[in-house]
Amino acid sequence: MSPMKIGFVLSLALLALVSVAEGGVSFKSLNRTLTVQAKIQASNATSGLAHVGTDHLVISWAFNSSFAGKDADYVNVKIRLCYAPVSQTDRGWRKTKDDLHKDKTCSKGIAKQKYVATGNTTTWRITKDVPGAIYFVRVYAVDALGTQLAFGQTTDKNKTTNLFEIVPISGRHASVDVAAAVFSVFSVGSLMGFLSLEAIKQRKLNGKAGQ
Amino acid sequence: MAPGWNGQQQGEPGTSMHGVTGHEPVFAMSIETIGETKNSNSEPTDIKGRKFALPVDSEHKAKTFRIYSFAAPHMQTFHLSWFSFMICFFSTFAAPPLMIIIRDNLGLTKENIGNAGIASVSGSIISRLLMGTICDLVGPRYGCAILMMITAPAVFCMPLVSTVTGFILVRFFIGFCLATFVSCQFWMSSMFNSKIVGLANGTAAGWGNLGGGITQLVMPLIYGIIRHIGAENYTAWRIAFFVPGVIQTFMGLLVLLIGQDLPDGNYAELKRAGDKVNDSFKKVLFYAVTNYRMYIFALTYGYCFGVELTVDNIIAEYFYDRFDLKLQTAGIIASTFGLMNIVSRPLGGILSDLVARRYGMRGRLWNLWIIQTMGGVLCIILGLSGNLSAAIAVMLIFSFFVQAACGATFGIIPFISRRSLGVISGATGAGGNVGAVVTQALFFMKSGYSTEKGIVLMGVMIVYVTLVVFLVYFPQWGSMLFPPSKSTEEDYYKSEWDAAEQSNGLHHGSLKFAENAKSERGKRVETVPTAVSSPDHV
Repeated sequence: MSPMKIGFVLSLALLALVSVAEGGVSFKSLNRTLTVQAKIQASNATSGLAHVGTDHLVISWAFNSSFAGKDADYVNVKIRLCYAPVSQTDRGWRKTKDDLHKDKTCSKGIAKQKYVATGNTTTWRITKDVPGAIYFVRVYAVDALGTQLAFGQTTDKNKTTNLFEIVPISGRHASVDVAAAVFSVFSVGSLMGFLSLEAIKQRKLNGKAGQ
Repeated sequence: MAPGWNGQQQGEPGTSMHGVTGHEPVFAMSIETIGETKNSNSEPTDIKGRKFALPVDSEHKAKTFRIYSFAAPHMQTFHLSWFSFMICFFSTFAAPPLMIIIRDNLGLTKENIGNAGIASVSGSIISRLLMGTICDLVGPRYGCAILMMITAPAVFCMPLVSTVTGFILVRFFIGFCLATFVSCQFWMSSMFNSKIVGLANGTAAGWGNLGGGITQLVMPLIYGIIRHIGAENYTAWRIAFFVPGVIQTFMGLLVLLIGQDLPDGNYAELKRAGDKVNDSFKKVLFYAVTNYRMYIFALTYGYCFGVELTVDNIIAEYFYDRFDLKLQTAGIIASTFGLMNIVSRPLGGILSDLVARRYGMRGRLWNLWIIQTMGGVLCIILGLSGNLSAAIAVMLIFSFFVQAACGATFGIIPFISRRSLGVISGATGAGGNVGAVVTQALFFMKSGYSTEKGIVLMGVMIVYVTLVVFLVYFPQWGSMLFPPSKSTEEDYYKSEWDAAEQSNGLHHGSLKFAENAKSERGKRVETVPTAVSSPDHV
């Protein structure tokens, strides 16, 4: 299976897990006990943009030791790609809600890892189904059932700093363009051809009738 | 050329809409030069001497309606016609079920989606008005085929769209093909006898509207198959659009190849002789524009048919977003709304006729008001339903009432005017599209409120707007609240002809119609002429 398909299946599974496990935890109730960093690993390092399909996101997270003891129940972490507010405006389907069961901010799953206090890193090649938008990365610490217990994110509380942009695929292909042109020409062309044929036939018949 | 019973000739304004309502005898195309061609056994034949498969009247229009038959020319025309209309509905509403993918691909905002939805239904306001004239001039076969094959490139342009403007423009141009409604009804009127033209028209219109439901079901399935084959999601939805485009082109060709304008043949093959006596277009327009009932019903039709179009545009996305369903599941649920058209629209007309038998026109008005208001109330409940099964159940009942209201409206339209019937029917149809534009602009554009709130507000507006039906007063039949005056049907329909025209006897067709319209008095008339062409329904 191609990496894209594996990534897609993984994210689907993650999504499924998330949707089954979420019991409506309130985001405001979570403590920010994890520190998270995300870097773009791009073929074109100077652009500052991440391109789907080719570039990678390197995400590293760790437990913030000033919250010592709070990580007793953490079993796994879920790493998710989240929309920044600027990409949420006028798009109700990406709305942030406090009830995590209804929240649509972080709809794309990146990875799931076992929790260790010292933290971990993951490298994720950005899949081609990711829409073009401004993002940040959030990591949820979850228990065995998948209920969120704490979180960490790459941006600040108001989600304004340290955001990055992902550039999507257009979905267009030269072959699709050509096919569309061919079919259109066929449609109009066959219509014109038919009409002219009928007009010629009528003229012949009228000519005969006139003789 | 011998005039039809109503004194109107071919090509007159309004003739293209004859038979849409199914309540008046239709003589859309009087090609009397053919006369009644019969073979040696005295069976009617067309000009090429072929026998007809169905029993026909003196104009060679079919007297029976056999759904399972494909016999040329009558039933073949029926199937070609409703399927073409259905495919056009399919193409126009092919984008909404895939909107979940498209909005991420093109980076659309709620306002962009709303604008595209408005664009998809506004193009046909103009094209429907023009199509009547086109059918009068070149025939429904050419009208239908040309429209479909000219708009097919617009469907093929959808795979090329990469900007918001492009998306809105493409949806606008695809929407033009909804004018096949007119060619469909026009074609039925030339093929089917007045006693059954209502049934033929109503079935064709209802089954055509099905396209809006079928597309919600089929497009996600096609998308799923293409994804399964291995395409990216942003490419798969583009490839999916080739399906409606190809079917549309194919149907256009089929209509050209085997379609036939009239039972006897095509326009060009038939000779026309005699002078055409045209009714004055200015007069017809004048009597339409000065009849306040036209505006009332154009407005109310916008809140049954217009609402139906709006819901076709938003319902798949609504179920996907509110209830967190899969794309295909949201599509299946959304499709049931449009699929109800198989029965609800014809039933609305049947109900109107049933009520009229006892209560006459007052009954029809109450019937329309009750059905459409129920539709509004159910719309409110739909927006308030937070539970998936409740929402589906409410949506099904809502769809029945909304579509029945469309059928019930066309149970009343034929009685508004005899002379200007075509213009009034066309204006009502256009009013439906305007209603779709208005409801989408008001309730589904702003991010300020959610889609469910928009649905509730739309329901409230339906209830309020439908109240104008109380204002409709017929002097000879009364209104919902007031009884009739001493005025008669003859007075009402004669008033559309001025003194000069009456002295020339041009109003005799209207008088005949007035005689038949006495049935709208309901049971209180003891002697109703039995020669009434029993209006089936639309």
